[in-house]
Amino acid sequence: MDNTFVEFRDLRKSYGALEVLHGINLAIGKHAFVVLVGPSGCGKSTLLRMIAGLEAITAGTISIDGRVVNRIHAKDRGIAMVFQSYALYPHMTVRENLSFSLEMAKTPKDVMVARIERAAGILHLDPLLDRFPAQLSGGQRQRVAMGRALVREPALFLFDEPLSNLDAKLRVEMRAEIKALHQRLQSTTIYVTHDQVEAMTMADLVVVMNDGRIEQSGRPLELYDHPATLFVAEFLGSPAMNLLRGTVVSRSPEKAVDVGGGILLPLPEDASVTAGQDVVYGMRPEHLAIGKPGQGIGAKVSLVEPAGWETHLHAEGGGHIFRVISTKRLDVVPGDPVSLVPDAGRVHLFDAASGLRI
Amino acid sequence: MTIISRTEPQPSAGVVEFIGSLRFRAGRFVLIGIPLVILVIWTTVPIVWAVLASLKEPLEIYQSNTLLPSNPSLDAYREVLSMPGFRGWLWNSVLVTVVATIVPLTISILAAYGFARYAFRFRHLLLLLYLVPRIIPRVSLIVPLNNLMTDLGLVNTYWVLFITYTASAIPLATWILVGFFGSIPKEIEESATIDGANMWNRLRRVMIPIAWPGVVTAGVLCIREAWNEFAFVLALVNETGMRTLPYQLYMLKDSMGVQDYAVYNAFTVLTVLPLLIVYLLLERRVVDSIVSGAVK
Repeated sequence: MDNTFVEFRDLRKSYGALEVLHGINLAIGKHAFVVLVGPSGCGKSTLLRMIAGLEAITAGTISIDGRVVNRIHAKDRGIAMVFQSYALYPHMTVRENLSFSLEMAKTPKDVMVARIERAAGILHLDPLLDRFPAQLSGGQRQRVAMGRALVREPALFLFDEPLSNLDAKLRVEMRAEIKALHQRLQSTTIYVTHDQVEAMTMADLVVVMNDGRIEQSGRPLELYDHPATLFVAEFLGSPAMNLLRGTVVSRSPEKAVDVGGGILLPLPEDASVTAGQDVVYGMRPEHLAIGKPGQGIGAKVSLVEPAGWETHLHAEGGGHIFRVISTKRLDVVPGDPVSLVPDAGRVHLFDAASGLRI
Repeated sequence: MTIISRTEPQPSAGVVEFIGSLRFRAGRFVLIGIPLVILVIWTTVPIVWAVLASLKEPLEIYQSNTLLPSNPSLDAYREVLSMPGFRGWLWNSVLVTVVATIVPLTISILAAYGFARYAFRFRHLLLLLYLVPRIIPRVSLIVPLNNLMTDLGLVNTYWVLFITYTASAIPLATWILVGFFGSIPKEIEESATIDGANMWNRLRRVMIPIAWPGVVTAGVLCIREAWNEFAFVLALVNETGMRTLPYQLYMLKDSMGVQDYAVYNAFTVLTVLPLLIVYLLLERRVVDSIVSGAVK
């Protein structure tokens, strides 16, 4: 049975002659938590605003629950949106903020009270109901914004970078709260962020966008382990993947990649490359091990970042900077020689010209 | 051998802090306090002088050099209030002020919302043209206006005052409100759109309450403009019963100048008083709106 709840078909958006979304196709299942992630200007917020009905659709269709909503007003799309700036009504108390949409929909008083009580209970807003937004902290405002979405009991939740204005600690807390809320309510959610950690930790389905196109979509670890393009490989993961440009050389009995500086890197046995092909050789920092002296790539430590549960190293060798993550507590200081051994089985290869995974 | 080093006594940290704080206070007084004192004197002295002069005997102002009345009396106020046309002039002023506040404010709110929120052709040019009536000297409008209103048969009616006062207040109120509406984040209105509010509800329930300090400011300015208006009423009205308070105040002067300074000043004080009360009442509301309406 088709589980699709939201669907984009060849969706395009132009401002005059400038096209910012170039034919988006995507199907989102019911109850899914989808994160649209990408750098600033990639079109993710525009896409969200088009779903919400705040931006006109230039071409293509958006369907929600089997109904094309292109010409349907925002209020009738069955959606609720949480904005980056919370967009609370500053002259209304929290209770009035929560009840506004219900008043507009002429909801019966008893239903309104019940919904507000429920949302306040879920989001711990009871003691704040008679306060004004100006009297709340950032986290509390965020919760009110979510409450305002919740009371509408929407079929689809839209979040536009809702955690960007919070400090690091609160962001982690709210991240968990939003995820827990989704697990509890099971409502389909589309969440926009430029933070890949948020994308990885919250999503059932991550959609990586770049320059108005979907680069890749899939489950978070699927994207992390098998990035389809160089962009996705570079964008997901912190510290970022080590990407070295090189040429495939035949080194009997197997092939290797010459990345310059006298460094030859091993290729997986099943790599379908030909000698002389220009490639980009990718290694996640956690897939570079510290080996015995003389083994692997000879490099010199240039930076040590002990994070407690793991250590991040920057090492320089053959004109390249290598980022390494070790779960061991390493006893090294800048200037120390190290040998870096790539895990050949977990190497990512991309075609240098097209940027596509080989 | 013991080495004794002699040093100058140094002031303790507390003293240094105290001196620093004194300097800060002195600097603040010079920069903020003195200009404020001058401003207060500048604005209140004429009013205080008028009040004191209104309490003097009719000829005392010519005979005595003292500011304070030797024998304070409310006779001048009694005389003003017992003038046969006073109630009518007061009513005229109140009526045209109420109409010339509510009508321009209503039109300006709608116009300003449109200018601030909708992109349309020639928006900036139109907004600029809005200012034209304020740029052209009012006196230069009087002759054409008089001709026009005479042709329309409106001279010596309330309508002529409603129309001219309203037209003169709209540009100012619109410009003030465009700024206030424009400063409200678009996301708040978008949020209201998703919440199901149509344009009218967004304006009434969201935009106007948030821009309330601006609405009150524009309203106060409309009230002031209408209450103090003189050129139009002088040019377009000539029946005694149609005069407003500023017009009648002017008429108290004859070719010999002011005959009774006490009565003249009592009339001035009674003309200014309603406006002062409105200012004092609304100033509090403006502050309240700002405090409760803070976005962040």
